Amino acid sequence: MNFKSILKEIEKTDPEVYERLSDRRHILKSFGSKVAVAALPIALGSLFKKAYGKTTATSDVISALNFALEMEYFEYNFWHTGNSTGGLIPTADAAGFLTIEAHEKAHILFLNTTVTTLGGTPYTPNFYNPLAVNPLYIPAAYDFTAGGAYPNTFDNYPSFLVMAQIFEDTGVHAYKGQIPTLFGNAGILTQAFQIQSVEGRHAAHVRLIRRNAGAAENPAPWISNNIPPPPILTSEPESQFQPFYIGEDNTLQVGGVDITTLPDAYATGGTVPKASATAAFDESMDMVTISALLRPFLL
Amino acid sequence: MKILNTPGNEQVEEMDKGYDVSRRRFFQLAGGIAGAGLLLSACRRTPPSTTFVGSGDVGLLNFLYIIEQVQAGFYTQAVLTPYYGLNVSESSCLTDTRDQAIAHREYMKKLVGVNAIGTIVLDLSPVTFADRTSTLQNAIILADYAVAGYNGAAQFFSATDFTLAASKIATVQARRSAYMRDLLSYNSFADSTAVDSNGLDLAVSPQTIMLEIQTYIQTKFDISKLPTF
Repeated sequence: MNFKSILKEIEKTDPEVYERLSDRRHILKSFGSKVAVAALPIALGSLFKKAYGKTTATSDVISALNFALEMEYFEYNFWHTGNSTGGLIPTADAAGFLTIEAHEKAHILFLNTTVTTLGGTPYTPNFYNPLAVNPLYIPAAYDFTAGGAYPNTFDNYPSFLVMAQIFEDTGVHAYKGQIPTLFGNAGILTQAFQIQSVEGRHAAHVRLIRRNAGAAENPAPWISNNIPPPPILTSEPESQFQPFYIGEDNTLQVGGVDITTLPDAYATGGTVPKASATAAFDESMDMVTISALLRPFLL
Repeated sequence: MKILNTPGNEQVEEMDKGYDVSRRRFFQLAGGIAGAGLLLSACRRTPPSTTFVGSGDVGLLNFLYIIEQVQAGFYTQAVLTPYYGLNVSESSCLTDTRDQAIAHREYMKKLVGVNAIGTIVLDLSPVTFADRTSTLQNAIILADYAVAGYNGAAQFFSATDFTLAASKIATVQARRSAYMRDLLSYNSFADSTAVDSNGLDLAVSPQTIMLEIQTYIQTKFDISKLPTF
């Protein structure tokens, strides 16, 4: 493979290619001489993404952040309602859930500032009233029973935990879906990473509580395959919560790597168990999917 | 260098006269000399025992590969010699974590491809694996390094795909940290030692994480081309 001739071909097609990047000399310096032939596909891939990758408009970044804001309002209102409901949460778990609520509130304030700084208008839920005692708490905007489909959300602790788990796992999926939009904006991308890992911590905590309480599907702190919690009402289908975990059993990861073929701990030709391989990767969900999942809970 | 500068070896003499030999010229020269390996190691900018992790995307992926090699080694040992008082649930999660760390390690190795560094030599002497507290404390340190390292590295990738891959693993590192924290001290899954007042996890530069995680590694690295901030 002749790297220089590839560059020449690109030059013929697009004389401005080097203005899109830095300059030819620099590219040759950084890629031409040092990169081994087998690594060229990766190097070239990076190069083209740099040159021709869509430059994300500020308005798209603002939309992504406002979507994150919608998710954070949702979670904050869920936790604030739960933490304020007498007799719902056992004493041992109270401190942890107050920590989560405080984080969701901090995320709202942080994202508000970021959107404003970018010149955008921060998202606010329906019935938002800036003059309310706590403007972030808007019970009129949410129905966490989804019209009675999940009737015990704030009446029954195991039910509350199931809803907490699916909402926090969904938060993780939602941020991942926005990463490609935020790519290219180093500061905001990093902040999105810093928030999504906190959502991951929240989800792990709730899942551990359910595990320790003997939840039927024996959840681990991470998502093995695409196993959802069982339905809250026995009259509901087993797959009631499946939509929240669609795609979590993905085995084909970025770079075209089938993670079920990766060698295991024993070096005897075995491969990593699928449950662990899929648990090792949290998956992303796009805005449309997430919005559809949350819509039944919005008023 | 003097040793090699024997009469009749003009190529070496040329170098010794202090000519401005370009990198390419240097390799041409080196290629024509018997015992080039000796010459090469004598002329390296960094000590020969140092592993260069690379620059750009390769350097970043090797950085993540190092983080995963350390964690995979840590959990392999933790499963082989489990801490005293381990219950069934913890045992199952520990084995699961080992397998996830191995999956991450092997995945990173594949992503870096031919530019992957070799297997590094670990130093797990800071850990007393028979002791629950020591094992969990070190597990937390390593998971938090991983979270901060993935978060810190994400912005420097030139390809969206690598950032997305990092994103998918970063939150699993956070889940791991939260779990180990809760095992050691319930409700500490996201306390103020992990998450700041803005509700943000740490994001630390790859160079800084490398300096920190060196505690668990014998292999020495040249990290000069990794991002810092």
